[in-house]
Amino acid sequence: MVLFIDTHLTDIVIILYQDGQILKKKIINNEKENSKLLMPLIKKILKKKEPDSIVVVNGPGSFTGVRLGVTNAKTLAYTLKIPIRTITSLECLAVCTNVPEKIVAFSDKNGYYIGIFDENYKLIGNYEYLSNDEFTEYCAKYEVITNVKLDYKKIIAYALEKEVVNPHEVNPIYVKQLDVEK
Amino acid sequence: MKDVYILSVETSCDETSIAIVKNGEDVIALTILTQMDTHANFGGVIPEIASRMHTENITMVLEETLNKAHMEVKDMDAIAVTYAPGLLGSLLVGVEFAKVLSYVYDKPLIKVNHLIGHIYANKINNKMKFPCLALIISGGHTELIKMKDDYDFELLGETQDDAIGEAFDKVARVLGLKYPGGPNIEKLALEGQNTYKLPKMVNDNSYNFSYSGLKSAVINLVNKEKNKGLEINKADLACSFQTAAVDELTRKLEIALKETNIKDVIIAGGVSANKYLREEIAKICHKYKAKLNLPDFIYCTDNAAMIGAAAYPLYLKKEFADLDLNACSNADIVENS
Repeated sequence: MVLFIDTHLTDIVIILYQDGQILKKKIINNEKENSKLLMPLIKKILKKKEPDSIVVVNGPGSFTGVRLGVTNAKTLAYTLKIPIRTITSLECLAVCTNVPEKIVAFSDKNGYYIGIFDENYKLIGNYEYLSNDEFTEYCAKYEVITNVKLDYKKIIAYALEKEVVNPHEVNPIYVKQLDVEK
Repeated sequence: MKDVYILSVETSCDETSIAIVKNGEDVIALTILTQMDTHANFGGVIPEIASRMHTENITMVLEETLNKAHMEVKDMDAIAVTYAPGLLGSLLVGVEFAKVLSYVYDKPLIKVNHLIGHIYANKINNKMKFPCLALIISGGHTELIKMKDDYDFELLGETQDDAIGEAFDKVARVLGLKYPGGPNIEKLALEGQNTYKLPKMVNDNSYNFSYSGLKSAVINLVNKEKNKGLEINKADLACSFQTAAVDELTRKLEIALKETNIKDVIIAGGVSANKYLREEIAKICHKYKAKLNLPDFIYCTDNAAMIGAAAYPLYLKKEFADLDLNACSNADIVENS
């Protein structure tokens, strides 16, 4: 049984997955309370069962949101001594897009995170964060897919093909630069 | 009675720290991973970077602590964590981490106020006696508190504006000293004399403190001298400032010692590492035949051992938190009594 944790935006998505099937799925949207709700929600969905492995979305997205899910997931994996894998929020979008080569993007309040993927969902180049104006310009030049319907079965199946990561090294990716880093 | 082992977690600012404390007073293992070098590059703590580093390091800090103690999380009686006050993003990492430990190992969770942790640093290695006067002096706090018993706090006075540590940091910046400002002022003050005349602040009989006036006086002085084309003697100014800042504390402590007749004093918080301050407070205590309890230097700055010490009375009272515990950037000590 795989425990999937995604807190990279305003939702908490918790899924139990086994043998290609989704056993349980819980989505709650209460951004201000996410830090209160995540652990009780995982406890409720697991019902004292231990997962065999964990998949966590490690960003990019809301800094605090991503950190919440990643801190929880890496600590769970470390203490339960079970394998953990990461998938990025943009990989999730790419996996659910049936186009060979694609640019996928999603927005937060001030701009867009984008990633370019090949037909095997491998990232080409680096993730980028564009302001709303930059993104409008970008869209004039390239075809960008933003309306992706997430298929969690596909996402988790794809993530399970990825390599296991040492829990100590499971960390968020942020992409967006901080003011002090500029 | 059976020994009680508490695993405690502290991430309220720029130190990732985990400890194992026995019976609220014996430190079995303590790991403190400081990010000071990283933040020094920016001239101060950058909250977002602090939060990031907590997440990166926290499981490794746990591993190191368990290895030092030759223990496992399952050997613990409870998990304690700093939930407030501090940098929200940083606190959230420690709280989430502690909740997972509490869940996985089915151990009670104890939420600890960071400032109360600083007070209980005095429980480690030397006994805190009640009643006592506690002076909390840090980058965010300047408070004089009367304690009649465990977790029985009465606020006598507090700063009306800046905290003492904040004043040290701001003055350090004006003098062009590197981060962390407080320790660097202390170092520089050793080479100087108390020659600059600075104002006395809350010069009344209340227990309240004020530091913004002193800070402004230093800034004005530096600007005035600069305009006159004169070179300021930085060491003398550091010494004069430190003298005035500590004098503000000792005057108020003296009033409290006189009026309450309490014979035990503790000082807590990051600024209590200042040696000059310790000496001056010791003199006042001596004058009133009061015993001054000081935490060892290692327990003055942020550390998880003090959180384990502060969690112990709560463990005995079975004051446990639920898995929906949230972090909080602000919290008073007094509401905890």
